[in-house]
Amino acid sequence: MAGATNILRNLKGDRVIWAIMFILALMSILVVYSATDKLAYLHKGGNTEYYLLKHSAILLFGFIIAYVAYSLPYQVYMRMAPWLILISVPLLIFTMAMGVDVNSAKRWLSVPGIGLTFQTSDFAKIALVVYVAKVITANQETIKDLQKGFAPVIIPVLVICGLIAPSDLSTAMILFVTAMAMMFVGRVRLSFLVTLMTGGIILFSFLVTIGNFFPQYVRVGTWIQRVRNFMTGGGDNFQVMQGKMAIANGQYFGVGPGNSIQRNFLPSSYADFIYAIIGEEYGLVGASFILLIYVVLMFRIARLVTKSPKAFGSILAVGLGFMIVLQAMANMAVSVNLLPVTGLPLPLVSMGGSSVLVTATAFGMILSVSRYIEGLSSNEA
Amino acid sequence: MYILLSLVVLAAVGIFAQLVKVNVFEGEELRELIDQSYIVEKKIRGERGTIFADDGAILAASTPLYNLRFDPHAAGLTEEIFREKLDSLSYYLAYYFDDKYTVGAWHDRLEEAYDRGDKYFFLKNNVSYPEVELLRKFPIFRRGRNGGGFIADRNEKRAHPFRILARRTLGYVKEDVKVGLEGSFDDYLKGEEGTGYMLKTPQGDIPQKNLENITPKNGSDIYTTIDVNLQDVVQNALLRGLQYHDADQGTAILMDVKTGAIKAISNIGKVSNGWAEVYNYAVGTATEPGSTFKLASMIAMLEDGYVNLQDSVVLNQGKTQFYDKEMVDASPHGLDETTVRHAFEISSNVGIASLVDKHYNHSNKGRERFVNRLKDLYLHLPTGIELRGEALPYIKEPNSAVDQWSGTTIPWMAIGYEEKLTPLQMLSLYNTVANNGKMMKPYLVRDIMNYGDVVKHFKPTIISSRVISPKTVVKVQSLLEGVVERGTAKKLKSDYYRFAGKTGTAQMDYKQKKAKHRYQASFAGYFPAKNPRYSCIVVIYNPREHGYYGSAVAGPVFREIADKCYILDPDLKYPLNAHVAKLDSKKLPSWQVGYKDDLVKVAQEFDVPVKDLANEWAVFKTYNDVDSLFLLNRKMSKKIIPNVQGMGLKDALYLLENRQVKVRFKGNGKVLKQSIRGGTPAKGQTIYLRLG
Repeated sequence: MAGATNILRNLKGDRVIWAIMFILALMSILVVYSATDKLAYLHKGGNTEYYLLKHSAILLFGFIIAYVAYSLPYQVYMRMAPWLILISVPLLIFTMAMGVDVNSAKRWLSVPGIGLTFQTSDFAKIALVVYVAKVITANQETIKDLQKGFAPVIIPVLVICGLIAPSDLSTAMILFVTAMAMMFVGRVRLSFLVTLMTGGIILFSFLVTIGNFFPQYVRVGTWIQRVRNFMTGGGDNFQVMQGKMAIANGQYFGVGPGNSIQRNFLPSSYADFIYAIIGEEYGLVGASFILLIYVVLMFRIARLVTKSPKAFGSILAVGLGFMIVLQAMANMAVSVNLLPVTGLPLPLVSMGGSSVLVTATAFGMILSVSRYIEGLSSNEA
Repeated sequence: MYILLSLVVLAAVGIFAQLVKVNVFEGEELRELIDQSYIVEKKIRGERGTIFADDGAILAASTPLYNLRFDPHAAGLTEEIFREKLDSLSYYLAYYFDDKYTVGAWHDRLEEAYDRGDKYFFLKNNVSYPEVELLRKFPIFRRGRNGGGFIADRNEKRAHPFRILARRTLGYVKEDVKVGLEGSFDDYLKGEEGTGYMLKTPQGDIPQKNLENITPKNGSDIYTTIDVNLQDVVQNALLRGLQYHDADQGTAILMDVKTGAIKAISNIGKVSNGWAEVYNYAVGTATEPGSTFKLASMIAMLEDGYVNLQDSVVLNQGKTQFYDKEMVDASPHGLDETTVRHAFEISSNVGIASLVDKHYNHSNKGRERFVNRLKDLYLHLPTGIELRGEALPYIKEPNSAVDQWSGTTIPWMAIGYEEKLTPLQMLSLYNTVANNGKMMKPYLVRDIMNYGDVVKHFKPTIISSRVISPKTVVKVQSLLEGVVERGTAKKLKSDYYRFAGKTGTAQMDYKQKKAKHRYQASFAGYFPAKNPRYSCIVVIYNPREHGYYGSAVAGPVFREIADKCYILDPDLKYPLNAHVAKLDSKKLPSWQVGYKDDLVKVAQEFDVPVKDLANEWAVFKTYNDVDSLFLLNRKMSKKIIPNVQGMGLKDALYLLENRQVKVRFKGNGKVLKQSIRGGTPAKGQTIYLRLG
C-alpha cells in the first residue's frame, strides 16, 4: 500500500490522462459486472463474480502494463518499431489460417496454457502506429518525397491493414484512418493522402471480389448485410433495436447500476454494445459523460502535440490517442445507430482481454510521451 | 491537428445528437416496446399446505412435478445447431433419460418431430425436479427454452407418502370438486395467489423485483388427529376382513374416547383391480344400522325407568307377530322367557322390540316420547365432523305425514330399522357410553399452522356433558361388557383385556323377497372395558363368504384392531398376571433376602399380607399352613462379611463394599454363591460372587 501511494505521489505525465484511464476502468468494472449477468447464468452456473474477477484482474494487469510502458523512455519504442512489425505480419497470417472462430470471425489466437484468446490485430495496431511514427519522424526531411519519404510509411500500412481487413474490416479501417491522420500531422503531402484514400477504396473492392469467391476467408457477406440493414432504416436489425431500446430505457439519469433489463436481450452487451448498457444504467447524463471523456482525451493529446509537433513522441501520441478515440467514437456511433454494426469494442470499457491490455499499453505509451514533454516544458520554464 | 480535433468533436456532437434523439424523441415508443414484449404479468400460486398426522408424519404434501416437452423449432434453435447436436442429444436421452429407445431410435424420433414441424414433442410427464435439472445439462436442452426448445411445465402434484392410507378422508381438490379434508380446509391449505411481473428472456422468466409484486402466500398446514400407526392397523384389519368375506365395501373408525379425536378412519371399497379408498362410507353413507341400535332402545327404556335388567321378558322361541309382520330372532336360542339383560346380550330382536313396543307404542305420546329419547342422544343430528358431505341421520318424526308411520314402525325402530345413521354417528353414541355419558364431537383436525405458528387450534368439543344419566350409563356399560362375556360376541373375548361392544347384522334388502339377502355386518364398542381409551366401529357391507353376522364378520376386525392398539399403546399395557393375583405359596419368593423396606414394598405392591418381624435386613419366609408371608430379621454385623446368598446385587454390593471388601461378580440375578464364607472378618479382601 505504501508502495502504491509512493507510485501515485511520484506519478508524472498528464494527470488528466491518468484520471481518464482510471474513470474508464472503473466504469468498465461496473458495467461489465452488470452486463455479464447473463453470461454468468449461461456458462458459470450463476456465478456472477467469475466475470467480475476475471475482468478486474485483466484491468489490473492492464494498469501494470501501462505503468511499465509509462516508465520506459518512449524512445525505446522507436527502436522496437521494426521488430514489432516483423512479428506482426506472420502472427496475422497465422491467425488467418489457424485462428479460433468466435462469432464466425477468425480474429483470435488461443494462447496455450492460460486459456485466453488473443486478438492478434490488437497487437498489430500498436506495432503499426509505433512504426509509422518512427518512419515519419525519421524521414522528416524527405517526407515530401514519394519514394524516399512516403513509400516506407505506406507499404507496411497497406500490408498490415490488408491482412487485418478480411476478418476485421472495421479495425483495418480504423488503423488505416489513424495512419492517414498521423501522416497528415507529420506533414505528408495532401496529394499523397488523396491517392492513398483512393488506394484504400481500391483495396477494399479487391477484397470484396475475393470474398465473393472465398467466403470463408473474407466476411463480405456480413459486411454487406450489416450495411444493408443500416441503410434500410436499421430498425430491422435486432441488435441495433435492442441497443436503442436500452438507451431509451435509461432516460436522463438511467435505471441505476445493475438494473439493466436490456442486457438480457442485447447480444454482446458486455463488449460491442456496452455503450448502450451505459446509456441504460446511467442514462443520457452518464452516456454523455463517457463521450466527453474521450473528447477530453483527444484534447489532452492535442495539447501535448502542440508543445512539440514534429517529435517522434508527439506523432506516436497522436497516433495512439487518435486510434483509441476513433475506435471509441465508432463504437458509440454503432450503439446509437449512427453507423452499421462493426464489432469494435469500446476502448478500456468493453470486456475482452487483448483489447483492454493493448489499450492500456497505448495509454502507458502516451503517458510516457507526456512525461517527457512535461519535463521538457518545465525545463524550458 | 486542429482538423483532427474538430473531426473528433464533430463525431462526438453527432453521437450526442443521436443519443438525445433515441432517448427523448423516440424514447417513449421504445420504452413501451420493452414493456410490451418482455414484461408479463403472471399469477403465482402459493404453495399448498401440507396435511400432517398427529405425530407429524406427512399424509399429503405438494411436490412440484414437470411435464417435459421439446420444441425443435424454438426461436433460438437453428437447424444447424439442431442437426449438429442431434447425435449427442440422442445419446444422452437414450442413456440417461429413457432407455425405452436406443440412441438411433431417439435420433429418428427427434428428426421426425423436426420434419413434422412439431413444436411440442412429448418427452415425459410428472418428472421430478432433479431429473429436470439433469436434462437441462443435455446438449441442445442446455440452451434453455428459447435457445434449445426445452420446455418444462411445472404443475403441482399432491403426494401421499402413505399411499391409500386414509386417502378418502384426506380427499382432494379438483377445480370445483372438493372432497375430504383437502376440500373442507381448502381455504387454509391453498394460500393466497400472488401476482408477479416476469421478464421473458431467452433463458426463461426472471421475476422483476423492482416492479410491484404481490407475493403469494403459502397455504397453512393442517395437523390432523390421525395416528399413522393406528391408521395402518385399522386399514389392514379392515382390508383383511373385506377380503376374507369377499365384501363390497367396509369402513372402520377408531376414536379417542375422552376427546372425540378420530385416530384412524378407513374406507375401503372393491374396485375393478383390487381395493381402494373411493368413498367415505364412514361419513357419507347413512344406512339402517341394525342391532347396534338396540343400545339406544335400551338407554331410552332405562332412562324412562321402564325396565330393570333383571326383569323377565318373553322371547317366545324367538318369534313374534307385530300386526301383520312377523319378527324373528337372527339365531335360534330356544328360550321362551329370559331377563332383559340376557335378551340384550344375545341380541334378541323379539325381546327388545316387544319391550319397546309395550312401553312406547301404545299412543302417539308414547311414540313421541321414544323419539325424543333418541333425540336426547343426538341421533337425529349430524356429528358436524369437518368433512364435507356428511350424510344426515334419519329418525322418523312422530305426527309427520311424510314419515310413513305404521304400527310396526316402533318395534322395528327398536332393533335398528326404519331409521338411518352413518357409522360415525353410531360410533358417537357408543363413545358417549364409553365416556360415561359425556358426548364429544368427533373431530379430525387439531391445529392449523402456518410456518410453525398456530393459526387455529381446535380443542375437543363437548356436545353435552350429560347425554345419559350416570345410573343408566353404568347399566348399559355392563350390558355391553356382557355381550362380549356371554353374548353374541363371546367368541371374540380376549384373555388379556376386556372390551365392550355390540354386534349388528342388518338385512339391507328386507323389503325384497329373495332367496339370498344382502347384509350389513357391524360391531361397535370400546376398550378397555374399564376406563375406556378408544371407541371403534367396524361396518362391512355385503359379505359373501364365511358368514354374515356382525359377530363373525365385523367382530374379528374389531378384535384385531383392539389387539394391535394394545401392542402399540403403552398406556394400555396391562400386567399379564393382573387377573391371576392369587396368593400361592409355591410361586412366592420363598427365599428372598434383602433390605426390609424394599421387601415390604414389593409385598404391598402385590397385595400380599406380611407379618413383619425384621429390623433393617430381612428374609421372606412362608409357612404352608399360614396365609401370609413372614419377614424374619437378619442381623448384619459391621465387622464381618455377611452371608449375601439370595440377595440382589444391589443389596450385596451395599453390604460388602461398606465393609471395605472388593467385589467381583459374574452373571445376573440373585447371588448364588460367594467366594468367602459369611462370618469371616472383613479386612479388605476381594470377594467373588456368582449370580444366577
